[in-house]
Amino acid sequence: MTPFPAKSSTPEATETITLPPAPGRLRVMFQHRGLLIGAIMLAALVLIALFAPWLAPNSPTATNLMETFAPPSWTYPLGTDQFGRCLLSRLIWGTQVSLQVALSVVVISLTLGSILGSLAGFSGGLLEKVISWINDVLLAFPGFLLALAIVAARGSSLESIVIAVSVAYIPRVAVVMHAVVLTIKPRPFVEASRAIGLTNLRILLVHVIPNAMPPVIVVATVSAATAILAEAGLSFLGLGVQPPTPTWGNIISDGQTSIVEHPLISISAGLCIAMSVIALNLMGDGLRDTLDPQMRRQTGAKAL
Amino acid sequence: MIRSFLSSMIRLVVTVVGVVTVTFFLMRAIPGDPALYMLGDYATADAVASLQAKLGLDRPILHQYGLFLKQTLTGDLGSSVVTGQPALDEIVSNLPWSISLAVLGMAIAIVIGVPLGITSARYQGTWLDRAVMVTALLGISFPVFWIGLVAILGFSHWAGLFPTLGAGNGEFWNELYHLILPATVLGISVAAYIARLTRSAMLEVLGQDYVRVARAMGISEGRIFYKLALRNALVPILAVISVTFAWSLGNAILIEVVFSRPGLGSTIMKAVLSRDYQLVQAGLLVLATAVVTINTLFNFLYGIIDPRLQKR
Amino acid sequence: MSNVTPVRPVLDIRSLRTVFPGPSGPLPIVNDVSLSVRAGEMLAVVGESGSGKSMTFMSALGLIEKPGKVESGQVLVDGVDLVPLSRQEMRAHRGRSISMIFQDPLSGLNPVFTVGAQLIEVLHAHRKMSRSAARKEAIELLERVQIPDPHRRLDDYPHQFSGGMRQRVLTAMATAHQPKVLIADEPTTALDVTVQAQVLDLIDNLRRDTGMAVVLITHDLGLVARHADRMSVMYSGRVVEEGKVSQVFANPRHPYTRSLLQSIPRLDTPVDADLMTIRGQPPLPGTIREGCAFESRCFLGRGRVDCLRIRPELQTVGKDVHLSACHFHESLEETALSA
Repeated sequence: MTPFPAKSSTPEATETITLPPAPGRLRVMFQHRGLLIGAIMLAALVLIALFAPWLAPNSPTATNLMETFAPPSWTYPLGTDQFGRCLLSRLIWGTQVSLQVALSVVVISLTLGSILGSLAGFSGGLLEKVISWINDVLLAFPGFLLALAIVAARGSSLESIVIAVSVAYIPRVAVVMHAVVLTIKPRPFVEASRAIGLTNLRILLVHVIPNAMPPVIVVATVSAATAILAEAGLSFLGLGVQPPTPTWGNIISDGQTSIVEHPLISISAGLCIAMSVIALNLMGDGLRDTLDPQMRRQTGAKAL
Repeated sequence: MIRSFLSSMIRLVVTVVGVVTVTFFLMRAIPGDPALYMLGDYATADAVASLQAKLGLDRPILHQYGLFLKQTLTGDLGSSVVTGQPALDEIVSNLPWSISLAVLGMAIAIVIGVPLGITSARYQGTWLDRAVMVTALLGISFPVFWIGLVAILGFSHWAGLFPTLGAGNGEFWNELYHLILPATVLGISVAAYIARLTRSAMLEVLGQDYVRVARAMGISEGRIFYKLALRNALVPILAVISVTFAWSLGNAILIEVVFSRPGLGSTIMKAVLSRDYQLVQAGLLVLATAVVTINTLFNFLYGIIDPRLQKR
Repeated sequence: MSNVTPVRPVLDIRSLRTVFPGPSGPLPIVNDVSLSVRAGEMLAVVGESGSGKSMTFMSALGLIEKPGKVESGQVLVDGVDLVPLSRQEMRAHRGRSISMIFQDPLSGLNPVFTVGAQLIEVLHAHRKMSRSAARKEAIELLERVQIPDPHRRLDDYPHQFSGGMRQRVLTAMATAHQPKVLIADEPTTALDVTVQAQVLDLIDNLRRDTGMAVVLITHDLGLVARHADRMSVMYSGRVVEEGKVSQVFANPRHPYTRSLLQSIPRLDTPVDADLMTIRGQPPLPGTIREGCAFESRCFLGRGRVDCLRIRPELQTVGKDVHLSACHFHESLEETALSA
């Protein structure tokens, strides 16, 4: 069950070039229970999001003022909210928003963050100092607050949220990438590549970045989880995706006023959020375990 | 020692300047005109123009930046559009509630999170470790505001143990009573995060060569863990605390809203909703500066603790 | 208890087997290894990375972590078998009757404690002493390993020492309780050549002064030639040849040893001659289930049934107990290497 020998036993070939994921590595990943469960959960959520129109029993936005706060029934499997809208349908459609945000944030922050980080790490000198300083400043703002301010400035919309959370997360990815590249740069194979005449750009793209991917991938999954939580928080505050579009965050907010008599609304939405975040965290942890041991030493406890 | 203190200070100042700069440009990232934004869609052209002049928005941007920098560093953060009072005063008057929430919340988080993380690492692989980690996973996966709502539901409504809303009537014990539930919710959510990271930090240390050497010399496991390894994990654990502190400030806003508590978070929220631009800006500045200051303090602390960082 | 048999080995490893779980069953990392060292003797254990040389002695010291475990065999230190001991009992031996120093001195010392504190920690692990007595002894230990100005250095941190000095400090820690056996696992690989010599000379001196037996794990045959009395060559978790250093060097009776010796570049070979290597890689543990593990890389290898099917056992091939595990070791006899 456990991956093959831990660090202290197998003599290390410290200078191997590892291009992820080698077939053996994939196999190890499949054997990691947490990773597998997380991946399955995530796959399920993706399917729900994709097939929402067919899976949802009713329209998520159709109101029915005759049936407000209806208890669970065949027509409304989880009952209705204060506007008579089907709770289950809203939850199902909410999956789309959350996953969209998560995906967009991951793609944007991974790309831009990696570029910035590897530029900083690889080029050194003034560029490195400037990028580091910008990162430090951006990281001084608590992520959620920064996202809040950006959404406040740009107005509430899905786009704003994506931009806001991405901006908050790009520096985090950049910092990790920067640190990792710094550990790769001095390795002999980089110098060897230079010696045989590869341009810096080629070295960066073909050798440095693939080797730096493992910790960055882990940060990416964490950023996806954070993105979902951030979107939920912003929507809860009324600054996120606007009604009537259902998102788990604003469903919780909707249910807040009636939480004592009708707790199901807020509670169910919270459970949905938790499930997605758990899935992503399980994957993140699993990836961290299986892409170890090189990784743990590179990013340590700060692989947020 | 003095030298590193000075360099920390310089770094702090430079970063604060950066923070101010970013805030400035952030606020000006609003598409359209800030004055229009503040006054709303129905403002008259005259009103907009006079506000623009008042805010100095008709000057070139670098001029505005310079002005902003100067004003900020002298404590003038503009005035709230809604109340007309100086923004800084608004912020400062609301600070005590936020500080008490943050401090108590972090204290709870540290007291719960660090020992749990350490224990988990000590008994790695056992059911105890797994149990703690599963709980921690749940703790970081449920949104903090949801936990707050559930806590209110459970402890305030059904059990009647705690007051539901507000911060109290000013009297110390009353205020404390109102603080307990929100601080605990915040604390538990942050504790989950801290526990996970503390565990990683300890495990990382336990994988080091010098631990293997200590074992080879016949030193007992207990001594290795609690003396030799723990000391090394101190700096990473402090780093974890410093990072989670910044993160918990974001959560504090949500808690304040859920529990209807006054404080910096609520103030900023109201300012955002009422388009009180100066106030939002001021709030951001204060919070970010607080974070930077605390981080600098922590960095300085690392320098004291880790002998490798002390110059000979 | 009096012992009439001459020279019983201080360290006697018999048929040691250590396994790790693999995808399809347990994989032997140390596969039926037997070694012995006598008091005052230095045994060199030689082999490539992955040959199991470190693991053998980690097993001997009970340092194998889950999921690996020592499956069978005996490790006798001064007559006491360590294998069946509980963790507590084992701990009493570690650092006291048998000790180990590792490869990387830079990471072997705890960075946040002074060197003195760490030495005292080791002293307290096995003896009750007052703080001042421990401190005094720590200073003496530093003197013994030739650290200058020990009074002051005691309160310095590891990062204030050079690599060579750190290795000496580690040696002091390992010999603090006068162990019968010291295992030195590639103690000088991370050090400069000049420093290497110092560290090994130190170990030799300690050996002479206290009659300590030393196992030198290394892949550097030059060191073996200079310092070791006997040598064991390991390949793929097994000992394939063993004997007095002078004999093995002069007359290697296993093709692996032969290839190893031949691959050392010599001063008298022409500059543009190719470097001799042993083609291929050592097999991963558990991949060779029958026959000789070296067969695919062996220059004597001709796909013979014996080599492929029957695992070669160690047989005596010379005096002073020269052993070799090769079916066809006679074919090596004719072509003895010049020293």
